[in-house]
Amino acid sequence: MFRAPRLITTAAAGASVVLLSTACGGSGGQNADGGWSPERPIELIAPAETGGGWDTLARTTSRVLEEEEMVDQNLQVENKPGGGGAIGWAHVANTPDDPHKLFVTSPPIILVPLSGNSDHTHEDFTPIAALATEYMAYVVPEDSPLESFEDLVEQVEEDPESISIAGGSGPGSMDHVALAGAVKAAGGDPKELNYVPHDGGGEALTSMVGGHVDAAVTGISEAAGMVESDDARMLATSAPEPTDAAPDTPTLQEEGIDFDFDIWRGVMGPGEMTEGQVAYYERLFADMVEQDSWKEETGNLGWEQSYMDSEEFGTFLDEAHAESGEILDEVGLGTEQG
Amino acid sequence: MDTLSQLGYGFGIALAPENLVFVFIGVLAGTIIGILPGLGPMSAIALMIPIAYGMDPTTAIIMLAGVYYGAIFGGSTSSILLNAPGVAGTVATSFDGYPMARKGQAGKALAIAAIASFIGGTVGVVLLMLIAPQLARLAVSFGPAEYFALMILGLTAVVSLAGNNLTKGLISAVAGVIIALVGIDSQTAVLRFTFDLPELYEGVEFLIVALGVFALAEVFTMLVRRSAGGAGGAVTSLRLSRRELGQMGPAAGRGSVLGFFTGVLPGAGATVASFLGYSAEKRLAKDQDTFGKGNIKGVAAPEAANNGAAVGSFVPLLTLGVPGSGTTAILLGALLVLGVQPGPMMLTERPEVFWGVVASMYVGNIVLLVLNLPLIPLFAKVLKTPKALLIPLVVVFCVVGVYGLSFSVFDLWLLLGFGVLGYLMRQNGFPAAPLILGLILGGLMEQSMRRALQISNGDWSIFLTKPISAALLALAVLSLAGPLIGMVRRHRSAASSKVTGGDNGGGGVEKQRR
Repeated sequence: MFRAPRLITTAAAGASVVLLSTACGGSGGQNADGGWSPERPIELIAPAETGGGWDTLARTTSRVLEEEEMVDQNLQVENKPGGGGAIGWAHVANTPDDPHKLFVTSPPIILVPLSGNSDHTHEDFTPIAALATEYMAYVVPEDSPLESFEDLVEQVEEDPESISIAGGSGPGSMDHVALAGAVKAAGGDPKELNYVPHDGGGEALTSMVGGHVDAAVTGISEAAGMVESDDARMLATSAPEPTDAAPDTPTLQEEGIDFDFDIWRGVMGPGEMTEGQVAYYERLFADMVEQDSWKEETGNLGWEQSYMDSEEFGTFLDEAHAESGEILDEVGLGTEQG
Repeated sequence: MDTLSQLGYGFGIALAPENLVFVFIGVLAGTIIGILPGLGPMSAIALMIPIAYGMDPTTAIIMLAGVYYGAIFGGSTSSILLNAPGVAGTVATSFDGYPMARKGQAGKALAIAAIASFIGGTVGVVLLMLIAPQLARLAVSFGPAEYFALMILGLTAVVSLAGNNLTKGLISAVAGVIIALVGIDSQTAVLRFTFDLPELYEGVEFLIVALGVFALAEVFTMLVRRSAGGAGGAVTSLRLSRRELGQMGPAAGRGSVLGFFTGVLPGAGATVASFLGYSAEKRLAKDQDTFGKGNIKGVAAPEAANNGAAVGSFVPLLTLGVPGSGTTAILLGALLVLGVQPGPMMLTERPEVFWGVVASMYVGNIVLLVLNLPLIPLFAKVLKTPKALLIPLVVVFCVVGVYGLSFSVFDLWLLLGFGVLGYLMRQNGFPAAPLILGLILGGLMEQSMRRALQISNGDWSIFLTKPISAALLALAVLSLAGPLIGMVRRHRSAASSKVTGGDNGGGGVEKQRR
């Protein structure tokens, strides 16, 4: 009668030792393989309001990670809108050594600092992984006389006032750079472009279909519906090679214009992350993009898979920064500060 | 298939038990979220997306649409009871709704809001069903020049919102337009009036201004007045007399149609619709002086208009795949995740989604009415709260609402600033409504004007050579001319009876200048 309780006590004591040691391991940030693992819930910051592209990316990411039970810690999406992203970036930059704060990102992290509207640039953060991408489409109304992107550039050269081109974002932003870069590569003068900024690709397309502007530049998936209904035609896409989203449309490269532009989407972390921390997240996201649920959801959104690890992503960002800086200088919008 | 049999098909979908349950859940959740300031339809839908995810797409959009019109209706409740518009589209409702509540007619005001919303929603749905495909043409026919003209027409409402003193009304409206200029200029990416504060880069959030100059200013006034007792004594019953019904019916009808067509235009939306509805109704009315003091029509028209506009904004979404407002943009995102691509092909490719939504809107509007009429006495009890409790409640309401928008303390200081501004304006007889009008329409007006000029390479004639734009501008001139001529005439007759004293004074100033 005495023995049983004693056994239980011993077992309990043993268990608590094990528990204690795991707890210690946890606070030291070491997991079984000797690598780092998160000690607190992870904040995934979308530097924009609910409903936008960044928010969709953050929520899709967190949903896949949680549903597939790929993270031990909670992963919370936090919206930090303002300043075209600058507020959210500043929030992450304030705690450069906290590896539990990540943010979702896309070309504005390059473009907003280039136009001088952010205290932080992509170099203040650690690239973790690029996840997906989408390409731009150069679109005209169905009855437009323009048949190719070359035609468009020619008309801009001949009479720049006769052609206005709508985009879904402000001057110096993604749509504008994708247009100006392509025109420049085709031998035109991007300064001559009459670029008309709208609030979102949808508004730009409506404006075009209504005959108020002559062409538009937007993401392929945004334009797909109007192309299908024969209201609009795609002249070209900015993809490096033909894409599933618009298989019949030539790429700029195929038209002999050496330019491609993608709306890449990825995840970055604060500036002072250790190698172990980067490695942990890198592996996590590499596994995530292999999940069927990720492929299905991003497929619905019209995004294509384009995983890059931390190092590739970093090199890519530096190149994108240099190229976009050149284009912005060309159209007279660059206010490069270093 | 003709429309009727298609609609029957739609009802078959909307009345499926599962969909009925979700439209109910959607409307209820939307109403509750809408009552909380700061949580408008946009956040309401964003909050519901995780629930919608994984559902059948038709059921999901039926629920999300319910959330949308529920939230707009919920917003009017806080507008009427607390003068704290929870949703931008319900600011105009507070102009007459809050005075009614203060007169002890809160129940009546809420009932009118509920019925007018119902009428607005139903008229909107009928129009959506009958002419949605043709309306797509209307939506695209509005380019920047046409929007500019529409905003100008909207701004002439200053005359009817200014109250007794047109000069002060105009000053207030100009202040509103100036606030709209703050932030990154969308045409040139230049920073304007941001004082190096990144918090101001994206401009001043509309709701901060509205809660400040309406709700907080009201709190300050109450504090200073120090009068005892609740806001207006007993809450009368919500029964409407036949005369009152007769008054509100036509007003709600006109508001519905106007609201629907405004909602169809991408970018205009429920807020602009409710202002247009209010000012149009006031201009038509014979009893203009009672507007702003608790006129039934002043509640019915904007409420019908904002719900009509909510339905109208589905037209560009469902027929063009283009979101007409921030809220429908979120809906579009949700649909894409669910694997539905809204757009011109939707009617043929996914008819069950389109007609299911249309039919569920009929059902949803009835649910909205049935749900809310019995709750009105409960809501109205808020006003019986002693002042010592009500004032902190309103303050908490405002603070939570603003903080929930951006999680930024900076915005709370802004809220306080606008509260003080609103109080000072009130003390000095400056009406707050024109400020709000200027803020809403000013930004859109500037943007579309510059966009139009960008397209025309700086040629101003673009506003007159486009027929729709020219017609709207002519209408604006006419609607200004009437009241102004009347005012000048009154002024003249008053002046001549005082033996041309005013003219001499004017001459004197001229001389001094020289």
